[in-house]
Amino acid sequence: MLGAMLMAAPLVWTLLLSLKANSELMRDSGTAFSAPYTLENYRAVLQGSSAFRWLLNSLIVSTGTMIGVLILCSLAGYGFARLEFPFRRTLFVFVLLGLAIPEQAVILPRHQLFAALHLHNSYPGLILPGLAGPFGVFFMTQYFRAIPRELDEAAMLDGASRLRIFWKVLLPLTLPAQATLGVFTFLAAWNDYWWPLISATRSERFTLTVGLASAQMNYAQTSGLGFLMAQAVFASLPILIVYLLFQKQIVRAIAGTSGR
Amino acid sequence: MASLELSNVRKAYGATPVLDDVSLTMAAREFVAFLGPSGSGKSTLLRIIAGLETADAGEVRLDGRRIDTLAPGDRGVAMVFQHYALYPHMSVRENMAFGLRNAGVPRQEIAARIDEAARVLEIETQLDKKPGQLSGGQRQRVAIGRAIVKQPRLFLLDEPLSNLDAALRTRTRVELAQLRQRVDAAVIMVTHDQAEAMTLADRIVVMHDRAIQQIGAPMEIYGRPANAFVARFVGSPAMTLAPVSLLADESAFAAVRLGEGARIETRVPRDGLAVGAPLELGVRPENVQVVETSGGVPEAKVELVERLGDRTFVYARLADGLSITAEDAGGSRVRIGDTIGLRIDGAAVHLFTPDGRARHAAAAAA
Repeated sequence: MLGAMLMAAPLVWTLLLSLKANSELMRDSGTAFSAPYTLENYRAVLQGSSAFRWLLNSLIVSTGTMIGVLILCSLAGYGFARLEFPFRRTLFVFVLLGLAIPEQAVILPRHQLFAALHLHNSYPGLILPGLAGPFGVFFMTQYFRAIPRELDEAAMLDGASRLRIFWKVLLPLTLPAQATLGVFTFLAAWNDYWWPLISATRSERFTLTVGLASAQMNYAQTSGLGFLMAQAVFASLPILIVYLLFQKQIVRAIAGTSGR
Repeated sequence: MASLELSNVRKAYGATPVLDDVSLTMAAREFVAFLGPSGSGKSTLLRIIAGLETADAGEVRLDGRRIDTLAPGDRGVAMVFQHYALYPHMSVRENMAFGLRNAGVPRQEIAARIDEAARVLEIETQLDKKPGQLSGGQRQRVAIGRAIVKQPRLFLLDEPLSNLDAALRTRTRVELAQLRQRVDAAVIMVTHDQAEAMTLADRIVVMHDRAIQQIGAPMEIYGRPANAFVARFVGSPAMTLAPVSLLADESAFAAVRLGEGARIETRVPRDGLAVGAPLELGVRPENVQVVETSGGVPEAKVELVERLGDRTFVYARLADGLSITAEDAGGSRVRIGDTIGLRIDGAAVHLFTPDGRARHAAAAAA
């Protein structure tokens, strides 16, 4: 209970601040605990700032990354789990080794590469790095492996092609795993700060994280603390919705069960 | 006309051979059971016929057409898997329709075939349920239904009853036998349960050690086992095998002596058996009778008594240490630790030569 209160305190504090007039907060932020409250800051967010643009960018980048990861990891997982091809095991180990390479180690060459390809300040530039997901490949491979081979064989005897077996028989059975991987990928992409900060230098390509941070940087000139907090609440709403919708998958994923 | 023909099928996994030169011919609408212990190659053979494994050598023909070069779905066979292998996310109806849709069967005919199969298998009310909502027996029926709607030339059943409890297994066995009369196709069933094989099959193929040991009608396999392995494997309790020596005399039939000294006059022709050669005598429990100890019969000490109601199996040990199984009446008074006399019916025993081959009683051969 105490833990939950400690975790909730900053969120409540943010919410309360966002509901206060900036002029009041300039004098004393302690007034957040007492009326009057106002929605003025939210009105300002919706009318004035680029938050909507950044929100849209974040949605496009997160959704794009999520869809890409699901497609690639499902195909790769199926391949590693079911197909026989030369150097399959070696290749799988190489994919897993990717887990041990931190993003920091590759960020400079990646920046140079994307600059050379003129991909900075573009959606592909923000999405592509997120698609290389060794964890997703590993996760989906394990999931496909757990599906009994008898199902493939039954489908083969039913005259289904390999593609049809993948699409009609196996893929639907991985939906719980897809949901889990999808939610985690979406959240990771949504919360990512570093790469968008490097890749997106123009405001119209900022994701929400970068955009909000840029608004905070010139704090002295900002319209006030309440406005900043309203932006933060506004930014966290989509992620809150994702959490609420996919609570079950997230809990299952963290508990390490497949939920089948 | 021959339905299925296997010629010289061979298979190895790496350096480990699993099937050596297996050949078999099945008649149309015949029900054949592949019977054997784990690792005998029976499931591999079934999978080769289904197209789920490829043979290293040999041919598989169905109704005269070579099928071992075809994809599994094009072979005209349907399989019922040991664990049913129903598609969990599809309803029963969709499970049954999947193969037909792949084959391009018109929608109306698919519906008609499913309805007919559901009626025969009494699963009409389950058609819109998912496999997860069904009991083991119902899933089994759906798996059979999925095979039936395809109207195959050959059914392959991989241990179809092994996942059912004892009562359901017996019932399903009867249903399978009835169902078999309705379908116009040959059936191959893999099993390690001899009761299943004996009750369902027209012929049994006993497999062991990568090869077919014997092919024959159930009672032929039981009554005239081709070798010591078949003799031991088929029949429950197992046939007693005892080392004996052939006695020299003028009779046309072999007389042998048990290790503990008793002489047994068999009806097995003496031809070709060398005096003093080490032989094994095989005798089924029903041919060993429990009698009083007097009268020159072999004596044995009772180690276990198995009462089945209508009869009693008595597991005893002879003076030379040999274990022997006898059958007694349902109301047998024999108890563990008793010393009993045993009368072995010489007319019903088999002899096995050192290479394991069987020699049977002449009367039974007629």
